[in-house]
Amino acid sequence: MTEMPKENVDGNVLKELASIVGEKSATSAKHIRYAYSYDLSFVSRKNPDYVVMPESVEQVQAVMKFANQEKIPVVPYTAGTNIGGLCIPERGGILLDLKRMNKIIAIDAESHYAVIEPGVSHAQLATELYKHNLRWSWPVGPPSASVSSNAISHGIGGLSGRYGLNSEEITSMEVVLPTGELVRVGSCAIQENAWHSCLPLPRMDGLFTGWLGTSGVVTKIGVRVHPIPPVLKVFTVSADNIEDMSAYMFNLGNYEICDDLTGVSWWLAQVPIPYPYKPKPDDAPEWFSFGTTFSWTEKEKEAREEIWEMVVASEIEKGSSLKKTVYPEEALKARTELPSQIVGSTKNYTKQAGGGISWPGTFTPLKAWGPVYNDWKKILINHNLSPSVRVTNYRGVHYGMLRAMIPFNKKSPEETENARHAIVECLKVDLDHGGIPYKPPVDFAREINQRAHPGYLSLLKQVKKMLDPNDIMNPGKFGI
Amino acid sequence: MNWDIPSLEELEDIVWKCTACGNCKVAYKFGPPPSFGEICPAGVEFGFDGNMASKGKIAFARGILDGELEWTEEFVEAIYKCTVCAGCQNQCELDHKPFIPEIIEAMRRKAVKDGAGPMPTQKVIAQSMRSFNNPYQGPRRVRTEWTRPFKKVKKPIKNIMKEPAPILFYVGCTGAYNAPARVIPTATASVFQKMGLDFGILGENEICCGSTAMRLGDADEFIRVAEQNLESFKKLHEEQGVNTIVTSCAGCYRAIKKDYKLSDEYESVLNGIEVIHTTDLLYRYFKEGKLNFTKELPWKVTYHDPCHTGRHLNDFNIDKDGSVQWKGSYLGKEEAQCLYDVPREMLKAIPGIQFTEMERIRDNSYCCGGGGGVMTGFGDWAAKNAGYRIQEGMMTGAEKMVSICPFCHYNLNEGAKRVNSDMRLYDLVELLDMVTEDQG
Ligand SMILES: Cc1cc2nc3c(=O)[nH]c(=O)nc-3n(C[C@H](O)[C@H](O)[C@H](O)COP(=O)(O)OP(=O)(O)OC[C@H]3O[C@@H](n4cnc5c(N)ncnc54)[C@H](O)[C@@H]3O)c2cc1C
Ligand code: SF4
Ligand code: SF4
Repeated sequence: MTEMPKENVDGNVLKELASIVGEKSATSAKHIRYAYSYDLSFVSRKNPDYVVMPESVEQVQAVMKFANQEKIPVVPYTAGTNIGGLCIPERGGILLDLKRMNKIIAIDAESHYAVIEPGVSHAQLATELYKHNLRWSWPVGPPSASVSSNAISHGIGGLSGRYGLNSEEITSMEVVLPTGELVRVGSCAIQENAWHSCLPLPRMDGLFTGWLGTSGVVTKIGVRVHPIPPVLKVFTVSADNIEDMSAYMFNLGNYEICDDLTGVSWWLAQVPIPYPYKPKPDDAPEWFSFGTTFSWTEKEKEAREEIWEMVVASEIEKGSSLKKTVYPEEALKARTELPSQIVGSTKNYTKQAGGGISWPGTFTPLKAWGPVYNDWKKILINHNLSPSVRVTNYRGVHYGMLRAMIPFNKKSPEETENARHAIVECLKVDLDHGGIPYKPPVDFAREINQRAHPGYLSLLKQVKKMLDPNDIMNPGKFGI
Repeated sequence: MNWDIPSLEELEDIVWKCTACGNCKVAYKFGPPPSFGEICPAGVEFGFDGNMASKGKIAFARGILDGELEWTEEFVEAIYKCTVCAGCQNQCELDHKPFIPEIIEAMRRKAVKDGAGPMPTQKVIAQSMRSFNNPYQGPRRVRTEWTRPFKKVKKPIKNIMKEPAPILFYVGCTGAYNAPARVIPTATASVFQKMGLDFGILGENEICCGSTAMRLGDADEFIRVAEQNLESFKKLHEEQGVNTIVTSCAGCYRAIKKDYKLSDEYESVLNGIEVIHTTDLLYRYFKEGKLNFTKELPWKVTYHDPCHTGRHLNDFNIDKDGSVQWKGSYLGKEEAQCLYDVPREMLKAIPGIQFTEMERIRDNSYCCGGGGGVMTGFGDWAAKNAGYRIQEGMMTGAEKMVSICPFCHYNLNEGAKRVNSDMRLYDLVELLDMVTEDQG
């Protein structure tokens, strides 16, 4: 846990910021700063010193130039829902709220990509894309959160089973560097209005994805979007243990027919997650899975069903506890009707606990799901927390996600600490099995660094130094 | 009478239920097709997360409760930069949802109690309430000015203190004192007379319902007038035969229907009295064939749902004893009391009317910007926001906007001026008055 940084509010700095974005869009008022000082995670509260809301690329550039010159930290922010305290300023400084840069610049309905500003929300894009029968890989997060932040933070969504992470769907980017310099990566770098692809140029988009807002401010982004086939079919099964479930998900994942192939433990299938821990009824299966498929025709759906039936039969033949099952309607809706206001409001997760959610969210190979889950279960139950775990295939079986959604009572510092301890403990287990946490809070970053190859850390530092010579952007987030 | 009006401290547990997920910042429905729109007038105007939606207001509440935030002029202003429209509440799904407007008002109550609130411009209201029993600094005799034309044509309106009648028409201060809004009580009384209803008004003896005081956090003043009103309603029931209280004011309706319920004597005092909005009452007569439209109105109209006759009237189901989920769990909402369909059906039934909907309607209606003391505290912002709503109305191709609230009436007409629009806001009862003749 890190402490509240010392207040460093300077009237002259505020004046300068106000001269860039306008008086109404720059403030150092304490009540406004307070509202940006926390999120839903266990990360402790820290105030920024200023909040500014730019409305144009030029304003972002001017803020960055000024901040770089004065060596003032800058934290990019769109909705702050990342569940990792990633927008909580470790060292005060300027909170750069980008919500007013919210234009959908283009939707290319023929070539299937959209160009948007960082403040465009999932709700906003979903509404516009739907008019073209198009969709994005919507996360199960708040509809008011930003699409671009999701993409650059290696977000995941309802199409990740098929296409991988949302960062893999980025087609171009415009970025203001910490120095204020404007750069572009992908096709838009070569032809101003060409936003269709990062390839075949060198993959410089990697300089701005997964960097937790520490390497530059994305001001425009191109993302690949996808058509919405009309026929939805969800394959739902249950199993008594993680081993049977992951064997099934491996097997079905091989055929690459699901947009989303996810397994959830009994605790996560409850709406909401029980808090504190409550034992599962003996006769209830421990795991459920839903595999979402969209087909263009009934025949296509039937062909997918045929494959699924075959997979289920072969698993049962091997002696698996797998059963076809009906997934509870409310929970199923939460997975298929995205973006979802209900899930986005965190109802399914923390309604009983109150106020807090954090996760050990990781990319973990499918092979490791079993051992990691079994350890997590012990750790979480020991802390009186529900083992509300989710596993998901990405890109067939190529890699997998493993995470426990942990609600807690944020009003109580003890219960918050309890959750933090449990989650960090879980994380260590996962790291030891080859998993990697995503959107990591600082506590996780430290665990990663302890295990990292020295060359990785050295390269990370060198790249960071090159892009951000004064270490002003979201400093401290990598725990280096 | 005892009143169960919680302090911010009493709501502390509830305040901590918020996850800061930010769902409340925009209106969104999956559909399909999906729909998305701005929902928070304060967010649209001021933008910072603290100003925006319940996420921001709850942050303020936490800051006060944990001792981090102290009253400064700017902070007091910030807690009044909110129309208490409950648009944010409509997006939230957690256990504090039913209490979101309550949390906002509890902060204001605290500010008032600590001597920091309301804002200087709003203090005039508080003073006026104490001196004149209305928020408009209006002398008593002015309250009945709108009735003069009725006297002139020898159709005087009964003074219910003097003559018994089963229906009390509770006019409300805005209809009585706000000159442009006087068309509303006028049209209401006119339609009632055409229908031959036996109704009366309190006239100069009417006092404010207390809604404005309550919205500003002045609980003492609210209680003072609410108790007087409840006592007078009881007396009118017992002595003058009143069994229906009808009002054309969304604010009064909300106050009597909902805020007065915070009194432990509400049920007993209002036993035998029905409180009803004019639109609802007329709809009932219309359905029974007792209100017939005899003229045509070839208007293209759209309808604006006032917050106070819409989502403010939600009934929230809460697991009070923990028998369903856990104690205090929010189980769902019922919209039976919300006047969404009634005004629309009435409008559509008027011969010649062409009706189109705006994008943000019903539970996701975009507030006109006038409520929660904003019209007094931030008149410019109120009108600016109303201008946005008028523009939304214009986008439907409608020529006029219709609503059922005198606050919306005044503010949306101000908004129309502000954006140089020809669109005017009419109260539904004005239209009904235009298309009805003596029903005898
Ligand atoms: C209940 C719940 C469920 C969720 N489920 C999912 C899920 O299924 N999948 C998923 O991926 N996420 C999920 N999330 C996390 C989150 O909601 C999404 O990833 C969301 O899209 C992030 O957007 P945001 O606007 O909140 O980003 P923020 O939290 O504001 O920002 C995220 C990070 O990006 C940085 N940043 C923001 N804008 C910029 C910019 N323009 N340039 C550079 N850096 C920037 C920030 O500094 C921060 O480090 C969930 C969250 C909740 C609360
Ligand atoms: S009030 Fe409700 S919707 Fe808004 S941030 Fe809090 S929990 Fe989310
Ligand atoms: S009540 Fe209305 S104005 Fe106030 S915060 Fe909520 S949405 Fe905004």
